[in-house]
Amino acid sequence: MQIDGEDLLDAPIDCVWQALNDPAVLARCVPGVTALVPTGPDAYDAEIKLAIGPLKGTFKGTVRITEQVPPEAMTLTVDGAAPMGGVNAAGRLALETQGTGTLVRWQAEPKLRGTLATVGARLIGPVSKQQTTAFLKAIEAEARQLASSRR
Amino acid sequence: MTTTTKMIGQAIKRREDPKLITGQGQFLDDVKLTGMLHAVVVRSPYAHATIKGIDASKALALPGVVAVFTGEDMSDINPLPCAWAAGKVDNNLNTPRALAVGKAMHVGDGVALVVAEDRYIARDAADLVEVDYEPLAVVVDAKKATEPGAPQLHENAPSNIVMDWECGDREKTDAAIAAAEVTVREQIVNQRLIPTPMETRGSVARYEPATGEFTVWMTSQAPHVMRLLLAAFVFGIPETSVRCISPNIGGGFGQKIFVYADMAFTMWAARKLGRPVKFVEDRAENYQSSTHGRDHITDVEIAGTRDGRITGLRIDTLANLGGYLSTIAPGIPTTLYGRITTGVYKIPAAHCRVRGVYTNTAMVDAYRGAGRPEASYLIERMVDRFAAEIGMDPAEVRRRNFIPPEDFPYSNGMGLLPYDSGNYGPALDRALQIVGYDALRAEQAEARKQGRYLGIGLSSYVEICGVAPSAWIGLPGEGWGAGLWESANVRVHLTGKVVVTTGSLPHGQGLETTFAQIVADELGVPYDDVVVEWGDTSGTPFGFGTYGSRSLAVGGTAIVKTVAKVREKAKLLAAHMLEARVEDIVWEDGKAFVKGSPDQVKTLGDIALQAAVAYSLPEGMEPSLDETTYYDPPNCTFPFGTHVAVVDIDADTGAVSLRRYVAVDDVGTVINPLIVDGQLHGGIAQGVAQALTEGAIYDDDGQLVTGSLLEYAVPKASLFPQFETDRTVTRSPVNPLGVKGAGEAGTIASAQAVMNAVIDALQPFGVKHLQMPATSERVWNAMHGGTRGARS
Repeated sequence: MQIDGEDLLDAPIDCVWQALNDPAVLARCVPGVTALVPTGPDAYDAEIKLAIGPLKGTFKGTVRITEQVPPEAMTLTVDGAAPMGGVNAAGRLALETQGTGTLVRWQAEPKLRGTLATVGARLIGPVSKQQTTAFLKAIEAEARQLASSRR
Repeated sequence: MTTTTKMIGQAIKRREDPKLITGQGQFLDDVKLTGMLHAVVVRSPYAHATIKGIDASKALALPGVVAVFTGEDMSDINPLPCAWAAGKVDNNLNTPRALAVGKAMHVGDGVALVVAEDRYIARDAADLVEVDYEPLAVVVDAKKATEPGAPQLHENAPSNIVMDWECGDREKTDAAIAAAEVTVREQIVNQRLIPTPMETRGSVARYEPATGEFTVWMTSQAPHVMRLLLAAFVFGIPETSVRCISPNIGGGFGQKIFVYADMAFTMWAARKLGRPVKFVEDRAENYQSSTHGRDHITDVEIAGTRDGRITGLRIDTLANLGGYLSTIAPGIPTTLYGRITTGVYKIPAAHCRVRGVYTNTAMVDAYRGAGRPEASYLIERMVDRFAAEIGMDPAEVRRRNFIPPEDFPYSNGMGLLPYDSGNYGPALDRALQIVGYDALRAEQAEARKQGRYLGIGLSSYVEICGVAPSAWIGLPGEGWGAGLWESANVRVHLTGKVVVTTGSLPHGQGLETTFAQIVADELGVPYDDVVVEWGDTSGTPFGFGTYGSRSLAVGGTAIVKTVAKVREKAKLLAAHMLEARVEDIVWEDGKAFVKGSPDQVKTLGDIALQAAVAYSLPEGMEPSLDETTYYDPPNCTFPFGTHVAVVDIDADTGAVSLRRYVAVDDVGTVINPLIVDGQLHGGIAQGVAQALTEGAIYDDDGQLVTGSLLEYAVPKASLFPQFETDRTVTRSPVNPLGVKGAGEAGTIASAQAVMNAVIDALQPFGVKHLQMPATSERVWNAMHGGTRGARS
């Protein structure tokens, strides 16, 4: 399954980029994050509380940021497991200046396992979109703050 | 009820139903034992992975958890046996263990076992078991699994091939196809199905340390066979120390024939812990780890003449058998499929090659019809393809190629025992007459002019029932390596009440009723005086169980033969009591009297009492009216018939609606028409569902996408019209009752009737074939994209 979307953020591209690469910001912005511990350059152990339809659980896993092309592109790879199953997703983010803001195009191919793969499969699309948009909204707020502090 | 009316042929209601439909049945999950523990399996979320470590410490810390076991812990017992390898060829056997060791081969493969004081604690604790997996490359498709570069699942199975088997005459077939006027080629997929019995599977095991004896309650269609396999093969203990009991069973459809990991691990854990252990799978587990059915990819060619004679049939099938082999998996696509692929037709040259293939999916084994639905679907689709190719009516092509009645017993050249009896024309004619075939064809032509799409599909089928004859199935040629006879015991109590025990058993098909009807007639006693017992290995003589539509043809015949022994002994004793010669004794309505003196009678009760008290018996006669028979029939039976489906296709949405369904079946003598109709209705529903809605889907990572009843499209009642059933009766010469069998016929006949109708309806769009299920999406694509959607 392939999911994708785009969101226009009202913040300059370098600020968006900076926010995306700051663990503290990520910990605040990724919905449901209860822990994000750096384990190396661009690698984290994560704990995320998530509800996918009737399936609720705490995912434990790793987040890695790779293939960075500042400030235009990065790949966020998430691998997490919960009692209800697991998910492995490589999400590609592409950033592009649009007017005074930044257009973020994203695409991901989540691979599900366990109960998630069956019961959750039909719900993962909308849930991913919703979560990504919520994440980017939060990044937008952080990036705007960065931008205003620079002025 | 009196016996002056014959019971055989009466449509009486099933005597087991009041109990079963009012919640009074005793099913596996109703078994509750003192001190019983509950087991839950930790299952692999990966389709193929190395198990690098299992940490159970958190689970063990949960109050109420008694133990957590892994596959290594159970290494003192053997893997589950494969009891039916394909005949005469090498079989690269790999069977599952009680729990996986080292590697998980499919999603749902059992990796660890949590045993706790109650089921909820065990379920919660299973989530706390941490398993370290290293995911491996996955293959789920049988064709891809055989291609170069595919992940290799088992060291002993190069290219993931289980076996490479064939039947028929290859050279003759190649020559016939090369020389043919017309040949038609197709790739036909028979998609994977999940049997979905209403009751899921499970086991309860109890161990008596003092005697070393196990008692195992199981949802099994073959408790005697399970006892043999578990004792002799898995545990290496005497059969006498295992008692297997099948309580009421909520449907099986084949899925409950086999030996399963849970039987072994509940026994192992009960022995280890000294307490009874229960395991009941939930629906998701049933879907992931109990057996599936079908899953064939077949390249097939049919050859013939322009005037409608079929001259050759060449078949090359890949049968997906899953990550391991289930109990009789290789036997299904070989003996029960390849050998009957010529169907009801006299085809001079035919050849069938079958390769079994390992993939990272649940095991595939017998599912209602077991091989025969795949065979009849294949030949019936190809006959329609051939008819379309030469522009001849499909009914006419069938008629021209039917095995003529004078050819029976008929050998089809595929290594099967001869078809016992058959007369295929009248069943076809009757079905066409009921459905109003000519009028429908006229309506179809008219409808097409108006942009409406109506399709008529035929299916003329033959199947193999009463799968038994040991001299055939037991030969090395068929790979089974055991007999398949059946047993019966009949004893008459002192009061004249009759108890019948059978080595077969009912798993939802009403055998208590059918068998009692037979005994009532054969012994001349009231139907209500006959009790049928089954399912407990310590209470019934050894028997092979219920599958392959064999319970009546084989088990029922064993009962008839036993009743005859009881009757003969009763007559001997009556002669003694009446001081007459046995030759002069008349047996009528359960009573004996001397010819010409019908006033002075001895009832069965009088005789049974005399036999039991035994103070005055003829010289040399043993006390008691109690006889046993082990019956091995000379042949299988071959029911047949023609089904016709009529469908309407919505031109805007591609939705298929089944307008009518006519089934004319010949199952030989009918003991209880109500039960036969019930069996046919259920069978037809399952076949129609394969054609229109069902299909197990794995994604490329081996995740079972159709993992619950939300996603797996079991049909709803609204899918079906009222089935119109009728019969012809051709007695089977194989057994004294003349019965053939009806348990699977509906499923074997129906999928192709519906698909032939769908494809017939789509003929104006140039659609020649469409894979099942014919969902509206697939049909719509076929209507709009020609072959693009059609071949997907």
